[in-house]
Amino acid sequence: MQKEATLAQPDVSELDLVQRCQAGDTEAFDELVRRYRTRVFGMIQNMVHSEQDAWDLAQDSFLKAWRSIRRFRGRSSFYTWIYRIVMNVTIDWLRKKQIKGGGSEFDDAVQLRQVDPASRTVPRAEALPHQRMERSEIRARIDSAIAQLSPEHRAVILMKEIEGLQYHEIAETLGCSIGTVMSRLFYARKKLQNLLKDLYENV
Amino acid sequence: MKTFEEKWTAWVDGELSGKELAEFEASLPDKPAAEAERTAVKKLGALLRRELVAPALSNEEFFSHQLRERIARENAEQMGRFGAAETARGWDWRPVRRMLWAGSASIAIFLALAVFVMRDKNPAGQSQYLTQILNARVDPVVSPNATISMFQSKDQRVTVLWTEGLQSLPADYAAK
Repeated sequence: MQKEATLAQPDVSELDLVQRCQAGDTEAFDELVRRYRTRVFGMIQNMVHSEQDAWDLAQDSFLKAWRSIRRFRGRSSFYTWIYRIVMNVTIDWLRKKQIKGGGSEFDDAVQLRQVDPASRTVPRAEALPHQRMERSEIRARIDSAIAQLSPEHRAVILMKEIEGLQYHEIAETLGCSIGTVMSRLFYARKKLQNLLKDLYENV
Repeated sequence: MKTFEEKWTAWVDGELSGKELAEFEASLPDKPAAEAERTAVKKLGALLRRELVAPALSNEEFFSHQLRERIARENAEQMGRFGAAETARGWDWRPVRRMLWAGSASIAIFLALAVFVMRDKNPAGQSQYLTQILNARVDPVVSPNATISMFQSKDQRVTVLWTEGLQSLPADYAAK
């Protein structure tokens, strides 16, 4: 009990917790999970748009992290390391889902000029009478727009805009170059701008 | 060498500076349009940050509890597999050792029997005579059809030299 209280203190460094995990201390891992579970779950839910799937994928990600914690060398922060696992698990899942679903969910080959402006296909927010419904509708619009991005583009835009990660951190997380991150960010933003222009201009 | 997309992204995010920034801004054909585009990207980012607030886990403690159970189950399975592997390793090795011992013993028994049988089947013991053909010692010019055989009985300590068709005896066979 005393150990739990000690571990839960914010000044217990991640590195210390990781080292305890590497020695087989499941309570230390529990503390790491406690620190990151909400962010990890939120990130995954923004990627997959399903609470149940996000729960399962977050579980799988943490389990995978526990299995491979001994291989963590501390070259990056634990946060970046766990995000890399989360992204691998989630992108793999999205890719498998795409294959099972016939590959129609997102298509990188669609040119930006071919994307119809979202304002022509979705009711405007001001048409909704209730404030809560309005927010819900906006959220649905954004989720729908993000769902049209490839898993890699989703990951980049969410890590940059929501998580506030630097280019090099995103590159490390996704295992690609910084140039690739910047390029993906460019196209992801362009596509979302086309799909959500009326939202960010009017709201 | 950065592509346009990379430079544009860096410019929008305020990551360009110094000479690189000056060069990129100088290369823009329509600076006000680019500034408007940058503002649009900023607005998009603000919209995403405002609306995509990370939803709280509905039951955080249950999440951790479930994960703890999965880890405990996996650890137990690993221990089980480890134990099974140890047992399997025992079952793997014992027959090999047994086989090695059995093989060695079989070879030893075989060799012992072979020696025994060979000794029993000694030609000197079973057949009474040891025969050697000595044709090579006969001069074919002098005695073209000659054969010389030697019979030996070790038990009786007798050696018989049998010759046929011999016209003359080689010099070294001559009685001295």
